[in-house]
Amino acid sequence: MNWPPMLMHVKIQNEKTRFGLWLPLFLLLPLALVVLIILSPLILIAIIILWACGYGRWVWWALRCLKVAIVSSWAIRGLRVDVQGHNGVVQVSVI
Amino acid sequence: MSENKKKILEMLAAGKISAEEALKLLNAVDAGEGAQEKTRRVESDTKVKPKYLRVTVTPGEGHVDPEHADRVNVRVPMSLIRAGLKLTSLIPPDALDKANNALREKGINFDVRNIKPEDLEELIAALGDMEVDIEGGRGEKVKVFVE
Repeated sequence: MNWPPMLMHVKIQNEKTRFGLWLPLFLLLPLALVVLIILSPLILIAIIILWACGYGRWVWWALRCLKVAIVSSWAIRGLRVDVQGHNGVVQVSVI
Repeated sequence: MSENKKKILEMLAAGKISAEEALKLLNAVDAGEGAQEKTRRVESDTKVKPKYLRVTVTPGEGHVDPEHADRVNVRVPMSLIRAGLKLTSLIPPDALDKANNALREKGINFDVRNIKPEDLEELIAALGDMEVDIEGGRGEKVKVFVE
C-alpha cells in the first residue's frame, strides 16, 4: 500500500535569508478532506447546474484534474530536491 | 500469426499433411510459444522495479572551493513520474495539436495522444536500464540513473 506524504521540509538559505519550514501534511490532509466533505453539497449543485447549462465537458475535465491532483499529491512521497550553489541552498524533501 | 503456424497451414492447403496432423502440429507450436511467454514473464517479474529517478551533479576533485561548489541531488519517485505522464490526458486537444506540430517540425513524427497506460508502464520499466554519466570540462560529474 502507498502511504500519503506525512511531512514536507523546505529549507532556503542564502547570504541574506535563512528559512526553514516543516509542513505537517498528515494534519493538512484530514483538514482538506473535512473541507471537501463540507463543500461537497455545493460542489454537487455546481456540477448539476454546469452540466445542465451545457458545460458538462468542462465539469468532466475538472473532475479528472482533481483526480490527477490527488494521485500526484499521493505519489510525491519520497521526493527530494537538494540544490547547492555558491549563493545559497534550496532543499525540499517530502517524507 | 507466427511463421511456424503459417507454414503448417500452407502445408495443409497444399495437401502435404492431413487435417489431424496439422492440428497436432499447431498444438505443439502453441505449447512451445506458451512456454516461451511464461519464461519471458518470469524474467520480467524477477527484475527489480525502479523506485526513484536520481539526478546528481557533483563538483570535480580539482575544484578550487569544494565547499561552495554547485551541487545538485534530486530524487523523484517513479510514481510521481507515472502520475505526471498521465497529465497528458488532460491537455486540451488544441494544445496537443500544437505540441505534435512542434515535434514534427523538429523531425519527431510522434503523436502524444497515442500514449497509452501500458506504454507508460513499458517506458518506466525501460528506465531501469538507463544510466547517463557525463563528466564536464572542469571535472564536474552529472549522473542520471534509477534506483
